[in-house]
Amino acid sequence: MRVGLVCPYSLDVPGGVQYHVRDLADFLRSRGHEAEILAPGDDDAFADQPHLTTIGRAVPVRYNGSVARVSFGPTTAARVRRWVDAGDFDVLHLHEPITPSASILALWASQCPVVATFHTSIERSRALHAAAPLLRGSLERILGRIAVSPEALRTLRTHLGGDAVVIPNGVDTAAFARARPRPEWVGGAARPTIVFLGRADEPRKGLPVLVAAMDEVLARWPGARLFIAGPNATAETLAELGASERVNAATVALGRVSEADKAALLASADVYVAPQTGGESFGIVLVEAMAAGAAVVASDLVAFRDVLGGGAVGSLFAVGDATACAAAIGRVLDDPVATARRAQAATEHIRRYDWSVVGQSVLAVYDTVLTGVARTTAVGEGR
Amino acid sequence: MDWLIIVAVAAVVLIALGWWLSYTAARLHRMHTRVEGALAALDAYLIRRAESTMALAVSGALDPASSLLLADAASDSLEATTTGAGVADLLEGQRFGDRAEVESHLTEALRLALPDEVVREIHDTGGPDAEAVQRLHDASVRLQMARSFHAETVAEATRLRRQPFVRVFRLAGHAAWPLVIEFDDALPEGLENWPTLGPVTP
Repeated sequence: MRVGLVCPYSLDVPGGVQYHVRDLADFLRSRGHEAEILAPGDDDAFADQPHLTTIGRAVPVRYNGSVARVSFGPTTAARVRRWVDAGDFDVLHLHEPITPSASILALWASQCPVVATFHTSIERSRALHAAAPLLRGSLERILGRIAVSPEALRTLRTHLGGDAVVIPNGVDTAAFARARPRPEWVGGAARPTIVFLGRADEPRKGLPVLVAAMDEVLARWPGARLFIAGPNATAETLAELGASERVNAATVALGRVSEADKAALLASADVYVAPQTGGESFGIVLVEAMAAGAAVVASDLVAFRDVLGGGAVGSLFAVGDATACAAAIGRVLDDPVATARRAQAATEHIRRYDWSVVGQSVLAVYDTVLTGVARTTAVGEGR
Repeated sequence: MDWLIIVAVAAVVLIALGWWLSYTAARLHRMHTRVEGALAALDAYLIRRAESTMALAVSGALDPASSLLLADAASDSLEATTTGAGVADLLEGQRFGDRAEVESHLTEALRLALPDEVVREIHDTGGPDAEAVQRLHDASVRLQMARSFHAETVAEATRLRRQPFVRVFRLAGHAAWPLVIEFDDALPEGLENWPTLGPVTP
C-alpha cells in the first residue's frame, strides 16, 4: 500500500504530532508499505531524507492559543497539490486537518481516499466556529476519522460534530524500557529524583505549580532534586517563577535535551510530575515515563486520567493545586512497595500505546476505508 | 436600457443558481456513494466476523456450551446476511431489517463466551485456535470502525439533504434517506486486550 502522510507542523521543531507522523511512517515501512511524508520546512534542511517532501519555510503563527510553525498561501497550496497528484497514493492520511497548514491544503487537493487524525483538544475556538461551515465541504471528503484520545474526540464532536474512532498516539515503549539511568541524575533513596519535561515558560505546562510544590516536598525530603528539561528550562525561567532559595538550590535546569537524554532522564526519575493545567489532549510523555519505569504524578486532567487508567497506574492531584501536588509526590516517595506495584501494573497498562498495537489499528482504518471504496467502485457507481 | 440590466442580472443569477445546483447535486451523489461504500464495508466485516466466530466455535478451542452459543449466534448472523443482497440502486442495500438485533446478539454471545482469561489461554497456547481469535479480533475492530465511519457519512449526507434548496429542487432524486445503523458492536474485554498480548505463535 502507498500511504501519503501529511504533517501540518515543521519537522525540525519537536512536537507530538511530528513524532507521531515520523514514527507512523517507520511503522508502515516496517510492515512492507510505502510511506511518504509531506511537511512544512526549509527545503535544504531535509534534502537528505528521501521519503520526505517539504513545502517551504514554515512561519510561526499564533493559532489555538500557542505558536505553531505552519505553511500556507497559494505557492504552498500549489506545491501540496503537485505532491498529492504525483504521489499516486492508495490512502492519504492527514494529521490535524483543521490547522491552517499543509493538511487542509492536501485535503483540498485530494483525489484518493482520505483518512484524518485529530490530535488537538481545545476548550473553544471562535475561528473554528466561524469557519466550520466553510470547511464542511472539504471535511466531507474524509472517509475515516481518528481521534487520538477521548478528549480529542470530545473536541471534534463539539466543534465539527460527528464521530471518530479513538486510536492513541504510539510510543516505542521498548526504547524507553531499554534506557539506562545516568549516575549524575540518580541520587538514591535519600535524594529522590523528580523530573519535569516541557516548555518551562508556558504557564499551561504547569511548572509554577511544581515549583511551588517543591517547597513542601523539600521540607519532608531535604535531599530531593528537581530536574527540569525542555525549551527554556533554564535558571532564568526559574528565577522568573519566584522559586525560593531552597528550591533553586535543589533544581537542575537542563534546557532542551535530545531524545536519548530524555529517555535516560525518565529512566533516572523516581517521580515524573506532569503539572499541566489544561489544553492537553493525550499526554504521551506520561506513557514514555511509565515505559522508562518512573512513577507518574499528574494533574487530574481528563486526558491524563485516561492515560493513567483512571489513576490505577499513576497518582492524580487537583489541577493547579501545589499542596495536593506535593502530597501526591510525598505518597509516592513514602510508600515504595505500593509504588513498585503500580509500576508493575503500568508496564502492563501501557502496552496498548505501543506502536505494534497502535500501528495495527491505523492499518485497520486504512483497510476499512479501502474496503468501502472498493465495493462501491466494483458496483460501477464510480467515486 | 433598464430592462437590459435586469436581463443581465437575471442571467447571472440563473447561471449562478445553475452552477450551485449542479455542484450540490454532484456533492450529494458523492456523499450517497460514500454512505453506500461505508455500508458495504460494514456488511463485509459483519460477514467476516460471523465466519470467524463460526470457525472458532467448531475449532474445539472452547467448551461445548460456549461453542454452541457462538455457533447459534453466528449462524443467525450469516443467514441474515444472505437475504436482501444485491445493490442495484444508491442506498438500496441499507435495509438493515432485523439484522441489528441479530448482530447485537452475536456481540453479546462473544462477550459471554470469550472472557479475558479464556482469550489469554488461547493466546498462550497459540496455533490455529489463536489464529482464529486473531481473525475474529481483526473483523470485530474493523466492524466498529466501519460503523463509526458509516454514521459519520450518514450525518454529513443528512445535513446536506436537510438544506431547503436541496429539498425544493429535489436534488437527491429518489434516493432513500440514509439511515444510521445502531447495534451493540463493543469488543468483549478479552478481544479488547488481545493486541497487547503480543504476536500469535503459529
